[in-house]
Amino acid sequence: MGAPSVHEVTQLLRAWSAGDQDALDKLTPLVYRELHRTAQRYMARQQPDHTLQTTALVNEVYLRLVAFKEVSWADRAHFLAVCAQLMRRILTDWARGQQYQKRGKGARHVALDEALILSPKRSPDLVALDEALKALAEADLRKSQVVELRFYGGLSVEETAGVLKVSPETVMRDWKLAKLWLLREMRGGKPVGA
Amino acid sequence: MERESQSRVEQLVHEALALADEQRAEYLERHCTGDKHLRAEVESLLAFEKDAQSFMEASALQVAAIALETEDRTFQEAVESGHSSIGPYQLLRKIGEGGMGQVWLAQQSAPLQRQVALKLVRWGMYDATLLHRFQAERQSLAVMDHPYIAKVFEAGATAEGQPYFVMEYVAGVPITDYCDEKKLKIRKRLEVFIKVCEGVQHAHQKAIIHRDLKPANILVVEVDGKPTPRIIDFGLAKAIGTDMAGGPLHTRVGSFVGTPGYMSPEQSDPTAEDIDTRTDVYSLGVVLYVLLTGSLPFDTNEWKNKPVDEVLRRLREEDPVRPSTKVSTDRENSSAAAEARGTEPKHLVSTLRSDLDWIAMKAVEKDRGCRYGTPSELAADIRRYLNQEPVTARPARFSYRVQKYVRRHRYSVAVAGVFIAVLIAFAAMQNIQLRKTRRERDRADRITEFMTGVFKVSDPFERVGSKVTAQELLDKASKDIDTGLAKDPELQSRMMQVMGRAYMNLGLYSQAQSLFQRGIKVSGSALGQEHRNTLRIMSELGWTLFEEGRLSEAEGLDRRLLDTERRVLGPEDEETLATMGNLAVTLCEEDRCSEATKLAREQFDMKRRLFGSEDFYTLAAMDNLALMLARSNQFAEAEKLERETLDIQLRVFGRENLGTIGSMTDMADIERNMGRDEEALKLYGEALDLEQRVLGPDQPETADTRYSLACILARRGQAEEALSALRQAIDHGLQPRMDLEIEKEPYFNSLHSDPRFAVLVAHAKARAAAQKAN
Repeated sequence: MGAPSVHEVTQLLRAWSAGDQDALDKLTPLVYRELHRTAQRYMARQQPDHTLQTTALVNEVYLRLVAFKEVSWADRAHFLAVCAQLMRRILTDWARGQQYQKRGKGARHVALDEALILSPKRSPDLVALDEALKALAEADLRKSQVVELRFYGGLSVEETAGVLKVSPETVMRDWKLAKLWLLREMRGGKPVGA
Repeated sequence: MERESQSRVEQLVHEALALADEQRAEYLERHCTGDKHLRAEVESLLAFEKDAQSFMEASALQVAAIALETEDRTFQEAVESGHSSIGPYQLLRKIGEGGMGQVWLAQQSAPLQRQVALKLVRWGMYDATLLHRFQAERQSLAVMDHPYIAKVFEAGATAEGQPYFVMEYVAGVPITDYCDEKKLKIRKRLEVFIKVCEGVQHAHQKAIIHRDLKPANILVVEVDGKPTPRIIDFGLAKAIGTDMAGGPLHTRVGSFVGTPGYMSPEQSDPTAEDIDTRTDVYSLGVVLYVLLTGSLPFDTNEWKNKPVDEVLRRLREEDPVRPSTKVSTDRENSSAAAEARGTEPKHLVSTLRSDLDWIAMKAVEKDRGCRYGTPSELAADIRRYLNQEPVTARPARFSYRVQKYVRRHRYSVAVAGVFIAVLIAFAAMQNIQLRKTRRERDRADRITEFMTGVFKVSDPFERVGSKVTAQELLDKASKDIDTGLAKDPELQSRMMQVMGRAYMNLGLYSQAQSLFQRGIKVSGSALGQEHRNTLRIMSELGWTLFEEGRLSEAEGLDRRLLDTERRVLGPEDEETLATMGNLAVTLCEEDRCSEATKLAREQFDMKRRLFGSEDFYTLAAMDNLALMLARSNQFAEAEKLERETLDIQLRVFGRENLGTIGSMTDMADIERNMGRDEEALKLYGEALDLEQRVLGPDQPETADTRYSLACILARRGQAEEALSALRQAIDHGLQPRMDLEIEKEPYFNSLHSDPRFAVLVAHAKARAAAQKAN
């Protein structure tokens, strides 16, 4: 199966922006494939300074898939939102695969506790984070969306605000609170009364 | 109730965060007013304030990449601290690293003691099926046994599940580095390269494709002082390369970021599923190209900042320049490249020109059907070059028709009566120009039209047949024109165009070009740089550059012109279409056949749609397309198209028409190149008959056809007839350029032992020299 045509993706994106939910179902696998491919290439690039820019990646995919002159800013925001969602899936699956490979062979078993330790020096565990984020979505959907857009989608505060149709201040506030909430969730600190 | 309390919690957390630590207790005390649950909830969140500062500050993508990197480093540290081994292999030191993983030198202890190369596939770059795929390949890898191929011993996985391959350790250097360090001359380089082809051929016979041939995988060691290649990683690309995301290519895109340029166009095409042995022929071609020129066929630096799909598209659609052109145009690198080949840039260019150009270009053809079918065919052609035999990559000779003016040949003899008429008209016009009423301007235009018509008689399709040399007349006219028509720049520029074309017909390119350039200047300032008239003269200039063999300049000009015409005149304008055709012909001459045929096809389709298939220019486009296809060895389609052209012309124009006869000889050329001598003989014979009747016996076309007849007769071993036809061609109008070709014509190889042939060659050379002197 070849790459989807720009025309096809653009049409789907516009249809979905106009409220056609079926269009999203068709759009998602196309974007997923392209993002996955690109993400893999970015990761393989071995850049010692880790200047991996999600924004650049998503933009590359956007430019490749969408006839950007034919879509509105709102369409683009929709597209970025889909990308963020899909990046979350891609990276979480990838991280899950890594853990599985290690555990599967047994020799270098990574203890669950160890995997969940989140010190500033260590990278957050993407699998655990994904679980926590699901819980957050139940409690406060918008906060989970803020995290998805910013952390997975690489969107700026302003872009996030634009997608969610709230003020940048609200985004910042959500972002701060969501971080605290997620950390507590992953460390197993039960909220009282929950 | 719950929502309300949640927003209350958030409110308190948010405000507390803004306070200094010591003020918080008091703040919470005041606002929680004894609600223990509320306070505990708020404090449980505030407890993570410090951790939250760095949490999720790097993007998720970065986090994943860092995790990958950390895995690599942890492993490396473990190895560097010593005692690290994988199965029976003790790792000694890292000897390489690429996008796919690291290569280690390792000591094997059992079942035998030896040093091996161990390739560890990078974390994240494989999936669970990798080892299965390798096992499937293993059987065939085992039967590979060749001195130029490094063996792959086994594949396994570390305790952590990381796959690895164990290969014969080769203490060599990449072939390009080796040749440069030793300053090997082209001949020596080719000798080593032939061996590489032999190795790859062996693997292909065992049904194994390398898929990732590049200098880093072709190492050279010295055996008894002789450079001996050893190809590594055979069969691994397939095992590693199949990815987790989609088709087999996508991880290749990842790895290709590191070493682009050697991947074949079909590998870069996401829709192409079948990769066959010719993909290796392509990569070998690129290696050859680099060995010859010191540069990749494509400037991969230029690719770095481009989106990958753009790079891949260019790889699929654009043809590289010939090796000799690469060296002669890339001044920055050419002296270093020449020095590494024990020569000077000038000599290097002339060594590469023709045979080696053709061989390299055929190996890196976009369309694999046009490449060498196997590495041994490639090697055989290089051997032919080394033995000074004609190479098979030599493109067949075809002449194209100029799209607009339908000129098939240049003329050494011009058309003189015409020039007298020109001068008379010219004088008349000068008079008219003195008075400037609208009506007379119109008349002047008509006169120009008349003169253009007069000059057009020098085109073979309208020519009558008188012949006098007339350079002097032209020279005088071109001097007069600056002053004579200065008051009417439009007319002046058109005259310059007409006269420039007359010069071109005489083969006097620099005079023609200078007139065209003057015409462009005059027309540009009088009518505008992008005026139709100016653009038309530019097109003429492009064509002289082409005729003179200054192909890259012609190409550059045609490209700029095409852009402008598309923008100003629109994509369907006749001028735009003509430029497309000219550019296609130029590209074809540069051996960039895929680009050329693509463009020619596009142009032909448009013309047919716009003008219908019986239109004269549509037919010229169709004929050209057929010739280009033939030149890139796509004979079946070429034959079909040419047959169609010929049929239409027979129907529309009849037999005694130069266009029809032209297609007839083109058809014959194609048949000849397909090896159908009988068919070709018949067509040439018929064309010759018609040419003698329509054109007269002494015309270049007639001579050309005799020459072609001689070629076939010689190939068939009919020496007597061949020599006679050749003699007639030389004596009756063969162009000097062709006179000089006879000696090198591969078709005449069978005549070389015949003393009469040597006499003829000398005779032809003498004639060419005499013509030049005139």
